[in-house]
Amino acid sequence: MSQKEHLRNLGILGILVAVLLLVPPSFSIYIRTFSMFMMLYVVLALSWNIISGYTGYISLGHVIFYGVGSYVTGVLMVKYGWHWIPTIFAGGLVGGLFAIFIGYPVLRLKGPYFAIAMLGASEGTRVIVSVWDSVTGGGDGISFPNIENSWETYHAMLALMVLTIIVSYWVGHSRFGIRLNAIREDEVAADSLGINTTFYKMSALVLSGIFPAMGGGIASYKVLYIEPDSEFFILVTIYMKLFALFGGKGTVLGPIIGAIILYSIQEITWIKFPTAHLIAFGIFIILVARFMPRGLMGVAVDRGWVRKGMVH
Amino acid sequence: MLGGFLVIAYTLPFVVGYYTGNVILDLQWLEDLTTVILNGLMQGGVYAMFGAGLTLIFGVMRILNVAHGETVMLGAYLTWTAFFMLGVDPLLALVFTLPIAFGWGWLVQKILLNAVVNGPELTPLLMTFGLGLVIIHVVESIYTTDFRTIPYFPDALRISENIYVGRNRIISFVMAAIISGGVFIFLKKHRIGKAIRATSQNADVAMVCGINIYQIYMITSGLAAALAVAGGALVAIQFGFNPETGIFYTLQAFAIIVLGGRGNFIGALIGGVMLATIESLISFMLPRGTDLVEVAAYGLMIFVLLIRPQGLLGVKTDY
Repeated sequence: MSQKEHLRNLGILGILVAVLLLVPPSFSIYIRTFSMFMMLYVVLALSWNIISGYTGYISLGHVIFYGVGSYVTGVLMVKYGWHWIPTIFAGGLVGGLFAIFIGYPVLRLKGPYFAIAMLGASEGTRVIVSVWDSVTGGGDGISFPNIENSWETYHAMLALMVLTIIVSYWVGHSRFGIRLNAIREDEVAADSLGINTTFYKMSALVLSGIFPAMGGGIASYKVLYIEPDSEFFILVTIYMKLFALFGGKGTVLGPIIGAIILYSIQEITWIKFPTAHLIAFGIFIILVARFMPRGLMGVAVDRGWVRKGMVH
Repeated sequence: MLGGFLVIAYTLPFVVGYYTGNVILDLQWLEDLTTVILNGLMQGGVYAMFGAGLTLIFGVMRILNVAHGETVMLGAYLTWTAFFMLGVDPLLALVFTLPIAFGWGWLVQKILLNAVVNGPELTPLLMTFGLGLVIIHVVESIYTTDFRTIPYFPDALRISENIYVGRNRIISFVMAAIISGGVFIFLKKHRIGKAIRATSQNADVAMVCGINIYQIYMITSGLAAALAVAGGALVAIQFGFNPETGIFYTLQAFAIIVLGGRGNFIGALIGGVMLATIESLISFMLPRGTDLVEVAAYGLMIFVLLIRPQGLLGVKTDY
């Protein structure tokens, strides 16, 4: 892709950020919070996409990083009295280290075994967090001091989203991303061509662990309450996976569009149909996996609506 | 290697228990320990049911059915409905829940999975994941998220003053032994059972020999669903369950087939008993062990996948 196109994409991102920065003062707290959570899911879907879309290691337990990040923020803020901004970065750091810790054993597995091992790891971490109550408060969770912070968290999440989009874009357009794709297509062949697959898989997992951890920190500061069952909620994994799959895994634009469309739908439907919307989402996962394995972006490219390079 | 693993897995709870002061070598403690191990052993029957269905599907089709635990949960609810709405004995209910389950597995395979079984291996994983989500929330909208159980012979059979086993656990162990024995004989002796084994060994050659492998896939899936629902019935008479517990059964079933070797039917039965006894040792020995029991399955699964990916009792395969 030419330099011109990179600049154009950067321009589009700049316009998006400008719109998101300038419009909100007139918005109600509800809209602001809603947009913040939508941006959170853009971050989550993009992060899931780095390990699962580009590298092909489908993770069914990605909420593990989200939960770890929110607990780092919660513990540092409430127990040690830190300011909230450094705790977000600390959460990102711990999320990355945790990815190494988890990835060292789990990344040796392939295909479905990786997926299941991640699911097991996330459920296991949830149990450990709820048992380790001297630090995490156990099942009672951690309550933050009550303040109105929809404005600061909105900006923090916007910054995080821009960072995630830029990193995903870089992954999609660099040699690093091409190597990840090579691992997805044929790991043995990639290895034999001299790609250090272990290193690249681990880097992809670390990258995809940092941003959910930071996002989890910001979200927990917004919600002001965390407990193991909600922070390690399997539904979060389901959402990030579904959003990325629906938009088109392995692209940059796909997870963003998928998160925006489906998060809006779930926001409208969940109050009226608290169970039915999850049934619909389950059917949706089946249909997307069966008939649209490359997601909306795949359809768009096949129909010739966009050029292939534009969505990457 | 296998022996070493077994020694470590079974002595680790004792070592931790010793350091945390839960090992007291007196008569009372030994009797408690015997009780715990006996109950764990009996509980193993249910776990063997979980694992057997999953390992059948994996062995024949090389796909992991993430909705397996949800099928178990569905079976528990079917039995619960039969008991409280129709007043049918939970074990008698198997007479009509098993055919329903077989039909269900057959349909899932025919409608959803037959089309993708030879494609990329992650498509069936995602599809069964979606299916599990649908099952959970359909059940939740009918039965709510309340925990339920069936009071079925809840009294204990006393072997001596302090050693006892829950009567429902003995019943469920015997049922599990009968059902898995029946399936084993079916697989070994019956024409269709032989065709299933042939397909699991080599689907292409089986097809050349005139076996309709898609038909075999549907029968296998039906059989696995029936085993899962039988497991669900046994869950219903001894544990509490709600729609969300299905995922835990899935993970336990994975741990079991990893222990026993993927696609190995006997291995799954042994793995189930092993997991159950290790879990009960952990809950007895460790401080806050009852909360940590869940971690046992995951830890064991990841550990075995790392040291011996083909499973403790399994034969070596490509993956």
